[in-house]
Amino acid sequence: MQIGLPTNDFSWIINLAFFAFILIFSLYGAKIQMWQWLKQIEAGLIELKRMMLESRQTAIDTFKIYGRTEKDVASEIDRWLDYFTIMPVDLDPAGILKRLDHLLDNRRDRFQEFVSELAPDATEIQVQSLENTLEVSQVLDLIFRIVRHFYILGKKTGSQIMIMQIQMQMPDLLRIAKAYFDAIAAFSDGKPIGDGIGPLVITKFAREQGATPDTYVHEISREVGYYPVEFEERTVLALRATGPGGTVGKPGFAVKKLVEENKGKIARIITVDAALKLEGEELGRVSEGTGAAIGDPGPEKHAIEQAATENGIGIEAIVIKEDEAAAIGVIPKQVIDSLPEVIERIKTAILKRTKPGDKIILAGIGNTIGIGL
Amino acid sequence: MGWMSRILGVIMAGSGGVLLIFGMDPTTGIFSYVYFFLGLLMMSMGFALITGGRQQQREQKPPPPTVTEIRCDNRECTFKEIRDFEKGDYILKPVDVPCPKCGGRMTVEGIYIVREEPEQTITI
Ligand SMILES: [Zn+2]
Repeated sequence: MQIGLPTNDFSWIINLAFFAFILIFSLYGAKIQMWQWLKQIEAGLIELKRMMLESRQTAIDTFKIYGRTEKDVASEIDRWLDYFTIMPVDLDPAGILKRLDHLLDNRRDRFQEFVSELAPDATEIQVQSLENTLEVSQVLDLIFRIVRHFYILGKKTGSQIMIMQIQMQMPDLLRIAKAYFDAIAAFSDGKPIGDGIGPLVITKFAREQGATPDTYVHEISREVGYYPVEFEERTVLALRATGPGGTVGKPGFAVKKLVEENKGKIARIITVDAALKLEGEELGRVSEGTGAAIGDPGPEKHAIEQAATENGIGIEAIVIKEDEAAAIGVIPKQVIDSLPEVIERIKTAILKRTKPGDKIILAGIGNTIGIGL
Repeated sequence: MGWMSRILGVIMAGSGGVLLIFGMDPTTGIFSYVYFFLGLLMMSMGFALITGGRQQQREQKPPPPTVTEIRCDNRECTFKEIRDFEKGDYILKPVDVPCPKCGGRMTVEGIYIVREEPEQTITI
């Protein structure tokens, strides 16, 4: 190539073209990149929309077998997809947890009312699973609407920061949406999910000590009960939400109630839950620590912590590491295989840190879909 | 994107490369610039076509099937059955059929998926 020394009469045209080329790219390079990013967001948005529509259809198909027509179900579900909850004011934090708890209760009541109206033939257990199915469709709908909002706004205003943000978060958003999308099949069929490992541990432990579904004490708080079992001269109150319907219940308040009912007798609170693993950590790894392992918006964790603090009760947590896809999708084998180790660690904790005659609360936190008593 | 675009991409990248080399030849004369940039453009478009469809193919893998594991309640009996998940199954559900080995009662001990773990490329 002959850079420099032009030897021809037309060379000025070529030179001009060359400089124009450089000028265009240095001045409009950002614009071209924006255009490219918008295209990438658009591709992601199409994928999100597909997942949203398919999950909505799954929800409709799941609901329509319980007594209402498809048309009714579709219009009602559309009305409910963007149901919202307004978080309580935190400028005046006094009593915020009580207010939040009240709002969450209200929300659950509305959900239950809606689902039982839309599926009149469903049993209580089926209603709970239907609620979960609806919630997953809501999450996918929400992700789609938010991404679409920023896409359109970015396009309208040409704001680079708006487009950049959404383009950079797209892979993560798609990953989360995919996890929920795969989860909806689990919920609509009533399969156990990874988050349910807590309640499963409780029942396996209780059954080892001779508990049966008949010894389970129902409803000490909303949708939560416990098995009273004897273990090495100690009384273990093994607490979990009632299954096999999909519910998390209110285990935090159940712990508080048990502490109050057994004033001065509880020696330790052990919580078992699924926890998000870091990338690179092994799926189904068991780890332990101090504190209340419960992932609620706040009120329940607070209830456990306060009950423990006021009564001077030792509190510890055992968690099973899972990724998002495992936690809300069908439980993978690696997670189930961690059961013996979890139970072993529970036994060690009880034997090492409590005395014979003590009472211990063992609480399994998680969604009980597909996990029987 | 299918095989067609893949092949088209290879052809475009190849002919782009030829043009590029042609453009770098000092004997081509004044139009060497044109050939040079045209070659670059064609090559990049060709590569874009080759690599473009790769992501989608990976995503379309169906999730692994859910299986139900049934075991005999009798601890000495080792009978175990793994079958496809059926609607209505739940973990710890008592099974109606008696154990074919000892005639005892059986329970659903597990419902799970066996995830294919991608080969570990990071070994730290
Ligand atoms: Zn048997």
